[in-house]
Amino acid sequence: MKKLLVLFLGLLWVMGSTAVYGGVKNPDTFVLADIGSVDTLDPAKNYDVAGTHKIWTVYETLVFFDGPHTDKFVPVLATEVPTVENGGISPDGKTYTFKIRKGVKFHEGQELTPEDVVYSLKRAMICDPAGGPMWMLLEALTGYGSTRKGGKIIPGIFEKIDKAIEAKGEKVILHLPKPYPPLMGILCYSASCIINKKWAISKGCWDGDIRHAAKYNNPPEGKEPLQSVTNGTGPYKLKLWQTGNQFVFERFDGYWGPKPKIKTAIVKIVPEWSTRKLMLQNGDADRVHVGKPYVNEVKAMKGVKVYEVPQLAVTGAMFCQKINPTGNDNIGSGKLDGNGIPPDFFSDINVRKAFLHAYDRDTFKKEVLNNLCTMPPTPLVEGLAYYNKDIPVYDFDLNKAKEYMKKAWGGKVWKKGFKMVITYNTGREEREAAALMLKENIESLNPKFKIEVRNVEWKDYMVNIRAFKYPVFIIGWGADYPDPHNFMYPYMSSDGTYGKYIGYSNPEVDRLLKAGIENVDPQKRADAYNKLQQIWYKDALGIVLFQPKELWAYRDYVHGFVPNPMFPPAEEFFYRLWKE
Amino acid sequence: MTAYIIRRLFLLIFVLVGVSVLIFGILMTFSPERRAMAYVESPQQVKDIPQIIEQHGLNDPFYIQYFRWLKQIATGNLGWSFVAADTVWDAFWYYLPITLELNLFAIPLIIIIGIWLGTQAGIHKDTWIDHSTRIFAIIGWSLPTFLFALIMLMLFYGYFSVFPPGIISDHIQMFILKNPDKFKVYTGMYTIDGLLNGRLDITLDALRHLAMPVLTQVVVVVALLMRVMRSSMIEEISKDFVITARAKGADKKTVYFKHARKNALIPVVTVAGWLVAFSMEGSISVEIIFNRRGIGWWLAQSAISLDIPVLMGVCLFFGMVYVITNLAIDILYAAIDPRIRLT
Repeated sequence: MKKLLVLFLGLLWVMGSTAVYGGVKNPDTFVLADIGSVDTLDPAKNYDVAGTHKIWTVYETLVFFDGPHTDKFVPVLATEVPTVENGGISPDGKTYTFKIRKGVKFHEGQELTPEDVVYSLKRAMICDPAGGPMWMLLEALTGYGSTRKGGKIIPGIFEKIDKAIEAKGEKVILHLPKPYPPLMGILCYSASCIINKKWAISKGCWDGDIRHAAKYNNPPEGKEPLQSVTNGTGPYKLKLWQTGNQFVFERFDGYWGPKPKIKTAIVKIVPEWSTRKLMLQNGDADRVHVGKPYVNEVKAMKGVKVYEVPQLAVTGAMFCQKINPTGNDNIGSGKLDGNGIPPDFFSDINVRKAFLHAYDRDTFKKEVLNNLCTMPPTPLVEGLAYYNKDIPVYDFDLNKAKEYMKKAWGGKVWKKGFKMVITYNTGREEREAAALMLKENIESLNPKFKIEVRNVEWKDYMVNIRAFKYPVFIIGWGADYPDPHNFMYPYMSSDGTYGKYIGYSNPEVDRLLKAGIENVDPQKRADAYNKLQQIWYKDALGIVLFQPKELWAYRDYVHGFVPNPMFPPAEEFFYRLWKE
Repeated sequence: MTAYIIRRLFLLIFVLVGVSVLIFGILMTFSPERRAMAYVESPQQVKDIPQIIEQHGLNDPFYIQYFRWLKQIATGNLGWSFVAADTVWDAFWYYLPITLELNLFAIPLIIIIGIWLGTQAGIHKDTWIDHSTRIFAIIGWSLPTFLFALIMLMLFYGYFSVFPPGIISDHIQMFILKNPDKFKVYTGMYTIDGLLNGRLDITLDALRHLAMPVLTQVVVVVALLMRVMRSSMIEEISKDFVITARAKGADKKTVYFKHARKNALIPVVTVAGWLVAFSMEGSISVEIIFNRRGIGWWLAQSAISLDIPVLMGVCLFFGMVYVITNLAIDILYAAIDPRIRLT
């Protein structure tokens, strides 16, 4: 038995030792150890960053972000980026013309045509799966955010889609009902990737006849034909997808652009940090996903190069002004009796301002996030157009917080005290720290103030936010496209993802948001967004906690990384990288 | 005995129906909105919840949803797993070999080591052998699997660079991908497929990836079996027939190992059978730390994400495993103890 065991271990040891060697490991292979699994590879359906990365690896868009820029673009499948100056965009901002690149091959050998571009964009909008990303293109090209309303198809929507895009010779022309400034950013998104028409039809996608469009709308889960098959024009072909486990991409030798140096790119899904860290240390991974708590560990590692990249994202603590009292233990007794708060507790601006003055921005930045963040004054974060760093913020001042609490609810708050809950979603340590900081600081104002910090699983969290259950909820937002509209609308609109669920409705805000998105004149847009930022401060809608910076950790022999605030760590552009 | 087996297998149908109604009932306690959230990954998608509810009929009464699911099952469609991004059926056959391969090596080792160490501890009660196995059992049983797995990984991968996580090395993976004609996948288990393809290097590479997960699984699970075997052995060797046999000068080895141990195995078989079924669920910690995505990981992830088709399908499978394992245990009883008759 012992001999057998020794022999067995010895054999394994020998096998093991043969796989370990020095220098650059597997020079033409790049391994990313990541955390996010993917639902679908269909550009029309995917709406998460892990999926977007895989789609961008295989497919291409007409234009894309120029290196580190979020407001400059380079042509990809188009030959040039349309502008008003080059005649690609009409002076009224409603017509975009793209000349399509020639000599581009799909992975299965077909040649790219303008008809493929027209089909791809139309098919994606016709498909419009529930919970998918197609609202962006639909809003820009038809004026509607969906093909359905109340579960029924909007009459005439497919005809609008059909008329919005046309091919003329070597060109593709987009007709917009109204000017839509973020369009170019939306055309970079994975939902705007170009697929091959004949191949897609052969796989069961829309047949190209607009009269049959309804049949292909909102396919059931798992029934989208391009869920797991790909045929793009991108620099890599999908070689293997083991769901929840790994992706393997292989360089496409028929690629029209410069030949990438990395021949094989592997994305392994490794949820456990210790395992990822050891993989990076041993050179079995060339880059790993690094969670915020492990930043210092990675910075101390030898042979590892670290990049800090600010993100177009923001996290805030939102005050709900119309809390739903039904069966809601988050507001205690539901009255201002010292054992709870009334449902409209936060409708008094003094309460909101007191909470804002209780947030210690500097300590949070330094102690909690290791300075891996910026602190914008409003949800219109640094890196976006019309960002105004001079908008005032409510400085950390417990005396001011005390003064506002004394004024709140005609002095009743101070006299009676209150009890309530601050929530964040499970697993987000930085959000927990912010909640605890607010709790401690507010409780220090008056011994009658009691706050409980509670974590909720993300999916339950969003359901309860929509049910107006939380007095203060901490939540984040990441860019769909790099435009202020994509940030100010969710947070401030009376119909926004968060604005609606804090019970905030201000007709002036809604008017400014409309003006911001429907104007191409930069000055008019600047005016609108500047006013919105000032209203954010004046109305004290919530606490902007931080704008994150993310960490990219590579082996030091990996080169070619280009940081861009649009891309979170799930993204990786293999074609830019090389190892030496 | 055949009639007994057929009857037990027939009862399996009722067990599975019971399990499915129970699980479905529990899942229905979540609101339609909460179940719809299972399909949502980002705040941006939340606005489509009403459409998702309608699309999946999540507002329908319990019995309609249950019968819809039954009807679907009857047509051989176990549904779609959004965790696996695949049909439940296909995903199951992808994840099963990964868990099966781990258990193929771990379970025999658990049984052999558990019985052997338990026997030794029982025979040598209150000696250093007994004390050291007890300490080993306490460590194995009380040390969190997660922590033990992590220590193994840090030591043998982080420090010695010998036993890496994962299932197979990248260069072998690429070879298999590029040469589908040179390597045929028979079982989905590389240790076995390597041998069937005449590629010992692939088998050894797979073993190298399996060594630490198997060791972890063995160390944390073997303790229970060992302690049961020890108690049972002590009880048997103190019985009259053993004392008489020893008094008559029968060889100690023969008495202990041939007669006493056979009787002592009856309670051990129950525990071992249960452990086999339990191990099939896969140790979630082992699968996560050593990055082997098997059934355990899939089930845990599906439970967190409320991936209902997976929970239904996989729980039915485990229901079958438990029933069949119990049946096998009963049959084994009869083989070990001729006094037991299956009728």
